[in-house]
Amino acid sequence: MGQRYEAVVIGGGHNGLVNAAYLARGGKRVLVLEQRHLVGGATVTEEIYPGFNYSVFSYVVSLLRPEVVRDLRLPEHGLVILPLESTLTPLPDGDYLYRDGDHHRTRRAIARFSPRDADAYSDYGRTMYFMAKAVKEILGTVPPDPTSLWPGEMGDLTRLARHILGLGSEHAYTLAKMMTMSAADFVAQWFESEPLRATLSASGIIGTFLGPRSPGSAYVLLHHYMGEIDGQFRAWGFAKGGTGGIAEAIASAARAFGAEIRTEAKVAEVIVKNGRARGVVLEDGEEIAAEVVVSSLDPTHTFLNLVEPAQLPVELVEAVQRFNIRGSSAKVNLSLDGVPELACLPGVGRHLAGAISISPDTDYLERAYDDAKYGDFSRRPYVDVVIPSMIDPDMAPPGKHVMSCFVQYAPYELRQGSWDEKRTALGDAVVDTLSEYFPNLRDLILHRQVMTPLDIERVTGLTQGNIFQGELSLSQLFFLRPAAGYAQFRTPIDGYWQCGSGTHPGGGITGAPGRLAALEILGQ
Amino acid sequence: MSADRYDVIIIGAGHNGLVAAAYLAKAGRQVLVLEARDLVGGAAASEEVWPGFQVEIGAVDAGLLRPRIASDLKLEQYGLYWVEGQTAVFAPQPDGTPLRLWRDVTRTAEALAARDAALGEQWPRFVAATGRRALLLGGTMLLTPPDADHHGPMDLLSWLPLLMKVRRQGRDEMMELVRVLPLPVRDYLDEWFGEDTASGRAVRGVLAAAAAAGDVPGPYAAGTTYSLLYHQSGGLNGGFRSSRFVRGGLAALLAALREAASGQGAEIRTGSPVVRILLDEFDEEVVGVRLDDGQEIQARAVLSSADPKRTFFELIGAPRLPPSLVRAAGNVRQGGLASRVALALDGLPAFVGAEGEADLDGHIVIAPSVDYVERAWDAAKYGRLPVEPVLEAVVPTIHSPELAPNGQQLMLVTARFTPYRLREGEWAQQRERLGDLVAETLAQYAPDLPSRILKRRIITPADYAERYMLTDGGGYHGQMALDQLFFMRPIPGYGRYRTPIAGLYLGGAGTHPGGGITGAPGYNAAKALLSDRR
Repeated sequence: MGQRYEAVVIGGGHNGLVNAAYLARGGKRVLVLEQRHLVGGATVTEEIYPGFNYSVFSYVVSLLRPEVVRDLRLPEHGLVILPLESTLTPLPDGDYLYRDGDHHRTRRAIARFSPRDADAYSDYGRTMYFMAKAVKEILGTVPPDPTSLWPGEMGDLTRLARHILGLGSEHAYTLAKMMTMSAADFVAQWFESEPLRATLSASGIIGTFLGPRSPGSAYVLLHHYMGEIDGQFRAWGFAKGGTGGIAEAIASAARAFGAEIRTEAKVAEVIVKNGRARGVVLEDGEEIAAEVVVSSLDPTHTFLNLVEPAQLPVELVEAVQRFNIRGSSAKVNLSLDGVPELACLPGVGRHLAGAISISPDTDYLERAYDDAKYGDFSRRPYVDVVIPSMIDPDMAPPGKHVMSCFVQYAPYELRQGSWDEKRTALGDAVVDTLSEYFPNLRDLILHRQVMTPLDIERVTGLTQGNIFQGELSLSQLFFLRPAAGYAQFRTPIDGYWQCGSGTHPGGGITGAPGRLAALEILGQ
Repeated sequence: MSADRYDVIIIGAGHNGLVAAAYLAKAGRQVLVLEARDLVGGAAASEEVWPGFQVEIGAVDAGLLRPRIASDLKLEQYGLYWVEGQTAVFAPQPDGTPLRLWRDVTRTAEALAARDAALGEQWPRFVAATGRRALLLGGTMLLTPPDADHHGPMDLLSWLPLLMKVRRQGRDEMMELVRVLPLPVRDYLDEWFGEDTASGRAVRGVLAAAAAAGDVPGPYAAGTTYSLLYHQSGGLNGGFRSSRFVRGGLAALLAALREAASGQGAEIRTGSPVVRILLDEFDEEVVGVRLDDGQEIQARAVLSSADPKRTFFELIGAPRLPPSLVRAAGNVRQGGLASRVALALDGLPAFVGAEGEADLDGHIVIAPSVDYVERAWDAAKYGRLPVEPVLEAVVPTIHSPELAPNGQQLMLVTARFTPYRLREGEWAQQRERLGDLVAETLAQYAPDLPSRILKRRIITPADYAERYMLTDGGGYHGQMALDQLFFMRPIPGYGRYRTPIAGLYLGGAGTHPGGGITGAPGYNAAKALLSDRR
């Protein structure tokens, strides 16, 4: 065996890095092992086309826990979040809905579609503020075991119940509804105009294999609302330098605390002796000894690939096998020769520095889901567009732009054919869809990168390309994530831990699983 | 017997209204039941649609009826007689080889094993595990859900025995229960019968259809496993739904309930539609009801077994209710998805692969795969009729020949995913199209069926709304979806049978545990009223 570390973290995605940083801060000698040549996992910026920087996978940030930013002093390590100030929904008839931080302007914009909706908008905002506050507590909590009669666990459970009931019965009920409803039904409680309903509901489908009318999607909506930037709830932002900037800041913080990071070091397996993790073996055969091994990979890798499943209880293996980790999203990144202009709002303006949501009505989104349910990519997909170079000019050469298009749905498992055959067709469907709203787009494209779920899996290792490391469904949340009895970041193997998005509280650039796992490990 | 002022007026003589009446009268209350129609039964009524034919309007069996209610009210003494055929499900398939699920689980397992060894092995395990979970769910039915303002020791006391029972299942099963309840039934079935074999597909299709009762979305939707379990909560399922037929049809059960209620002294008036629930001058307390002929009847309490939307908006009126309640009640989703197509036949149709009458003495289910069911829902969610409808049929004349004239048969078909709100056209024009669709679909599996049809009657969700006073045609008084269950049924904060108006109680399918012939809402509402000493 080679060098000895107190802890080895498998995977240099943002959660792996956060975990390592906290462990190093806690005094451990830590090594992070990343298979690729750069850290970040699905949180990377890459210059795929010369001069143009793509946030290849994840593209906006909101959910990064403020305690992580604070504890790791990320701003000192170069983290700069630029606000994403608006959301624009272009419509097929040439109209559009534009919402930004200016409350009165937004109200007027909504009122053009429905005065009633404009009136309801602040109430909705207030409700979501309380909801985000309600779950904030849950995000920072290691899930208690509800079957346990230990006073500690029961105390945690009671404290949580008190917290929720302490919000007042009305908010507690809204939370219960959010946990169980569909996003479309949830927003329909306030709003009647389709562009607003659909655009709000769209937050409930991102990253999941659910339609806006699928029960459970309201929770996903909430999941996307629990972020805060600089103390402002629900704010979304864009990291300077692309999302890779976040990973680099965390990596820098981790190094500052003394962690070591090795890239191009793919872990083949975890060494287990006498039921205890002893280290890892790299693909090239190198062995690295460690007392603690933490996997930031998804549950499929953590339990079925990195260790011999036969070493695990059969119930756990079965639970991981049936863990719903269906891939449903794709990403298209474009290098553009100039500014893409919207038919509904021609010219260059602030509106291009926000999100542009192709979500004209709820049926549009639901039809996109229908295609995917039976194994086809959406003929007319939901696309969440951001033009990072409008916010951060360093992302593209002067006068040129990069466009980030998050696409749903693209099911990992296709009914017919393979993604290698259909990649181009998916790219075309996205460009066709966008061209209806950006008439000059097609002529501006210098380079197009299409990341199908298969590509996401190939590059990042995320099983099925599932960006959350497992569906955020009720059956897979909190003390059931990733499996009953293993939600407290432990595994049945002593010294082997989990810290990825497949654990509580789930996906998105939150850093929460990485942090909570580290605190559990250090507390031991 | 008639009084100037009653202790309790019950609105609606559906099965829940009658159960509530029986319990309240038994407790010594002076009870008046007011039914708008000329016969009791509500959505569980039978009507003589054609001379000599007794057609069930809504429910076709009563397997969910809580045994405690049947025994408390001595329904068997009043003529309730259960009949169970051999077959739980007969499911014709496009390939001509039907799937049979018998009530006898071992027999089913053996038959399945002959076609698919793994499936045969899995079946008894599935029935046992699912049945056990369903019975636990059944255990919640006669309990009042705690909520944000009622979760003290006294509110939880009645739940203690059930919680102990759940604990005794062990921690793995406890967590499993929490995990599977919100699961899409498609995933639950995949976990059990994941192999892509012909029999596996057929079994999954039938069970996806079983979960489709309750005006719920298709099998890809979270919470449909709850629906599957709910409909098995009466036991005796053979793997399908808890299904027990009543000799003489549901009319016989309703007659027994009516006898039980009036035997305890409750007064039942049919043909007496309530048009208004009367409140005091502050809109704080009920004082009685007004009938459509203008007559006002005083009462100390009113228990409405009408659906919550109807109760709040039609019988009281939004201006007299707290705004938060008005908003929440307005958001209850109650759009009906089921239609009834009743067929008078000159004899039993010959289903391809059927071996005799016994094959048809349970439920005939047309749902060859999970995706078939989901595609039917796809149409419904855009307000269209499915191209290939999910059908369930029973032939009650096999166990109760008296429901049709000599030698003739009655087939009651339930068509799922036929939405109340059609995007194009009105139900008045689509009604016959639905009838044709059902007949054509059945004819694919029973070619002689169209030639045997003597008469047909189609009851669409629009008809349920218009003639049976079900808001939006929803027979379950609100979709049985996760966000409309337990303390959220019908509305969070009002899931305990009480309303913001003193003396006004809800006791229909819109309250916990929900729709189907359980009797539980009526029972629980009566208990709530009694415990308030109203």
